[in-house]
Amino acid sequence: MKRRQFIKNVALTSASLPFVSNGFGMQALSQKLFNFSTGAEDRVLVMIRLNGGNDGLNTVIPLDQYANLMMHRSEIIIPQNQILSVTPEVGFHPQLQGMKGLFDQGKLSVVQNVGYPEQNRSHFRSMDIWTSGSLDVSETRGWLGRYFDSYNPNYPAGYPNVTYPDPFAISMGSEVTATCQGIAANFSHAVSNPNNAVNLYQGGFVNDGSYYGEHVEFVGTIIEQTNSFGQVIHAAAQAGSSLSAMYDPTNNLATQLKYVAQMISGGLKTKVYVLSLGGFDTHDNQADATNLLAGTHRGLMKTVSDAIAAFQDDLQLLGLEQRVVGMTFSEFGRQIESNASLGTDHGDAAPLFLFGTCIQSGIIGPNPTIASSLPDQAGIAMQIDFRDVYASILRDWFQVPTNEVQQLFAHQVQFYSLAGTCNVSLEEQALTNGSMLVYPNPTPSSVHVKVNLAEGRAMGELRDAHGATVKTYFDQNFSSGVHTIFCDMDGLASGTYFLVIRNNEKTFLEQVVKMK
Amino acid sequence: MSLIPFAGPWTRSEAAHLLRRTIFGPTHQQITAIANMTMTDAVNQLLTVGSLNPPLAYDAGETVVAQGQTWVSSLYPSNPVSNQLCETARVKSLTGWLMQNMNYQSMDISQKMFFFWHNHFGAAFSSDARATYTYLELLRTSSLGNVKQLVKDVTLDPAMLLFLNGNTNSVQHPNENYARELLELFTIGKGDQIAAGDYSNYTELDVASGAKILSGYLVQGIRSSTLPAAQTLFLNPLHDTSTKTLSYHFGNATVANAGAQEYANYIDIIFQQPQVATFICTELYRFFVNFDLTNDVETNIIPQLAQTLIANNYDILPVLQELFTSQHFYDVAIRGSIIRSPLETVFSMLNSTETQINVNLATDYNIYLNIYYAAANMGLDFMNPASVAGWEAYYLSPAFSRLWINSTTIKFRFDIATGLFIFGIPINGYTLKVDTIPFLNNLSLPSSADAVIDDICELFIAKPVDAATHSDLVNILTNNLPTFEWTLQYNEYLNNPNNPAFVDPVRYRVQLVLDRVFKMPQYQMI
Repeated sequence: MKRRQFIKNVALTSASLPFVSNGFGMQALSQKLFNFSTGAEDRVLVMIRLNGGNDGLNTVIPLDQYANLMMHRSEIIIPQNQILSVTPEVGFHPQLQGMKGLFDQGKLSVVQNVGYPEQNRSHFRSMDIWTSGSLDVSETRGWLGRYFDSYNPNYPAGYPNVTYPDPFAISMGSEVTATCQGIAANFSHAVSNPNNAVNLYQGGFVNDGSYYGEHVEFVGTIIEQTNSFGQVIHAAAQAGSSLSAMYDPTNNLATQLKYVAQMISGGLKTKVYVLSLGGFDTHDNQADATNLLAGTHRGLMKTVSDAIAAFQDDLQLLGLEQRVVGMTFSEFGRQIESNASLGTDHGDAAPLFLFGTCIQSGIIGPNPTIASSLPDQAGIAMQIDFRDVYASILRDWFQVPTNEVQQLFAHQVQFYSLAGTCNVSLEEQALTNGSMLVYPNPTPSSVHVKVNLAEGRAMGELRDAHGATVKTYFDQNFSSGVHTIFCDMDGLASGTYFLVIRNNEKTFLEQVVKMK
Repeated sequence: MSLIPFAGPWTRSEAAHLLRRTIFGPTHQQITAIANMTMTDAVNQLLTVGSLNPPLAYDAGETVVAQGQTWVSSLYPSNPVSNQLCETARVKSLTGWLMQNMNYQSMDISQKMFFFWHNHFGAAFSSDARATYTYLELLRTSSLGNVKQLVKDVTLDPAMLLFLNGNTNSVQHPNENYARELLELFTIGKGDQIAAGDYSNYTELDVASGAKILSGYLVQGIRSSTLPAAQTLFLNPLHDTSTKTLSYHFGNATVANAGAQEYANYIDIIFQQPQVATFICTELYRFFVNFDLTNDVETNIIPQLAQTLIANNYDILPVLQELFTSQHFYDVAIRGSIIRSPLETVFSMLNSTETQINVNLATDYNIYLNIYYAAANMGLDFMNPASVAGWEAYYLSPAFSRLWINSTTIKFRFDIATGLFIFGIPINGYTLKVDTIPFLNNLSLPSSADAVIDDICELFIAKPVDAATHSDLVNILTNNLPTFEWTLQYNEYLNNPNNPAFVDPVRYRVQLVLDRVFKMPQYQMI
């Protein structure tokens, strides 16, 4: 499989148009970009930030270290008989039932003892390190911001445009994410609810080159982007859907993930979504004095696990599982020994989670070792550098060449096999054998069609159960290769339809069920 | 350029800049008043802190004191349900009161300096509204006083002990939360990590020793039905009586057991390091002047401010006097270099249009609560700072105050303008909408469209606007008619001040202009 910069994605599909093929505004781009069967251009990374420093030892519990853990944190430890055992050596917090289910299906993995050399225990500095992917204090850009910058040196001037109509990254909520901070601007777009339409007044302005002028231009650009990105996001949300019944409406993280699923299914080509959940700075009342299973950490675990399980369920129902992987991260773990407030103080390394069908499943890395006697303030020693996790995701998931990945990081990158190993054979087989993939199916509004076309004319239409044509999608010349095409089914009654594509002498046919 | 005194002409332009930076939205008359003083008198006038009336009970959940009375030293109901309802009522009262104070600000820096310290210490609501009130009043009344004393007072304040777990930090199990932030955020600041556990200005040893030094405190009386206030207790059996050793950053100083006085001895040691003054003055500079620490700022301006702070034994007033009378502060290069915080955004809309809420007790508090939530939607939830470091806009490089603006928050900024000036915001049967007639009448020459727009731009925009923008705004005011038509319209209103047929169009045209101004990129800076 050829590698390329994931950033050079193009809008093969766009929710604002009935269909877009590679005949649309993409002639200038290299033909090889479209030769992937499961290309990186469709892939999405979802990052969930656990803000405050998650207590890794009560999240992923090293069962073989339990006796020594008991000596150091008996006031807050999870009772042994309550732990969800996922392997003989590793257990999950009892609230991680949904995530254990994913683990059992090979859709969730744990990367153990993640951190960086010479752990900084300041929340602020440590989160800066995690978001910049650098230990250098002078690095003010985010690790993704650096990557986006390398291909978009003029951003935000001239963005969005026909090649990049969608935001590079979306930060759910009212803040942009530091991971996407570039030189001149932040590449992430803050979205609180994609279902809200946006149309802000857009006036003229002049940048006089002063601090004031630079700010004026910055705000003006934000207003322009809010309008133009707002339109594509809103259109994607309208076109997209969410099918899982597992989202708890009182779980804010779940609601935000539901919006993400909706935007992805609606055809938004955004590569990265960043979400945040606070409350992990559990200096006190992490557990309850009378009930070790109560306390603040319990609710946090449930929120994270339920939200991820619902999201993964949704992706499966939407037929998007092979396009999305997710990860959690937190600025540090906590100390091994609990404090007198039924809590834990800032520590060092901690496990992180990867989720999705295309991640390397299982437990990556050994359990931490807990000594019976500890120096004051002891944390968990780092074994896997978080920057290597990022780097491996870039290589495995977004197919960024290793030399380019290395250039983004100051340290010598060590790659791990973390993603991209999803079972793509079915899809590839289907495409090479001459059938087409239609997803989601059933659908409430629209579908994506992935089809391997021969060079030449192709016609696409939708027929009802009686064979009558109800919609015509395209009739034009295509290059050879796999094309992803957006087909709108709005306004049609629910029922069974057939999507028909005729390409030269060949006919593709797939049954589609419209719901709602 | 170093911190030499400003010697240029003292004009409305300098007066407006000084006021935009030191209060939440000046009025036209306030700019006039400051411009008519000498710079020294103007700065001295601004560097004062007055007293405030306490928040009042207005919500039915308050069952201990009567409506219209204050609850800040009152007991709580003993019944747990009533106790919780009472706390909710008091939190709403306190929250509304905070906004009311910004709306009724006197012409001094106190509300801005109060916010500076609130952001500096970063504490959220405590679980007892009385303790929260006492803590916030400590910050406000000490805001122009001695920094070292303020840090000592905050260290033992019940709300802070609760917030950073000082109340459960004992010899048996030290809790490092406060000890870490005391160094990292409140006094000396963290520098680069130069070795394992060594942050240039302090080490992990200092955090651990600090936790021991600060051990032994308890808070009692939280939401008590028998005690009229939350109180801090020192209990010797909980205190670590060993001799604590600090790192080489503090000359390997030792801190001997001194019981309840030990915390003060420790803070005195911290404040012997000149880096504390540099840290505080850098924060002041970024808050009041500019995010960008240029070479000149780092080598001349901040060291000079820090020197002044140390020379005055950490009294902050002389530092602010020096800063606000300096050439650098009035340099046109730094005008408009700060993007308005949500509070500066919304209170400029209200205060600079002379809009003070005064309907009735409950409605006023409800309106202020809504203003509170508007600011929260724009990214500044006053009583829940983003973190103990405060809001990122004040410290996170490279974007700083640009972090207030993104696609979500800009929409809220526009929405609040539309609500206040065009549609009105319905609150408890009352519609909050700014009446622009009194505002207009207090401008320099209301009958002149050009003068009205000049005054509005001076009030709301940090630098002169270009001719095209000025002309756009005049056209909104005149509805694209020749400017003499505005003069006729205004004079007709003066002759018929009670006739809606003449009043309403004038009011509406000014509302339209302001609505537009608040949606211009140029408005978003101070």
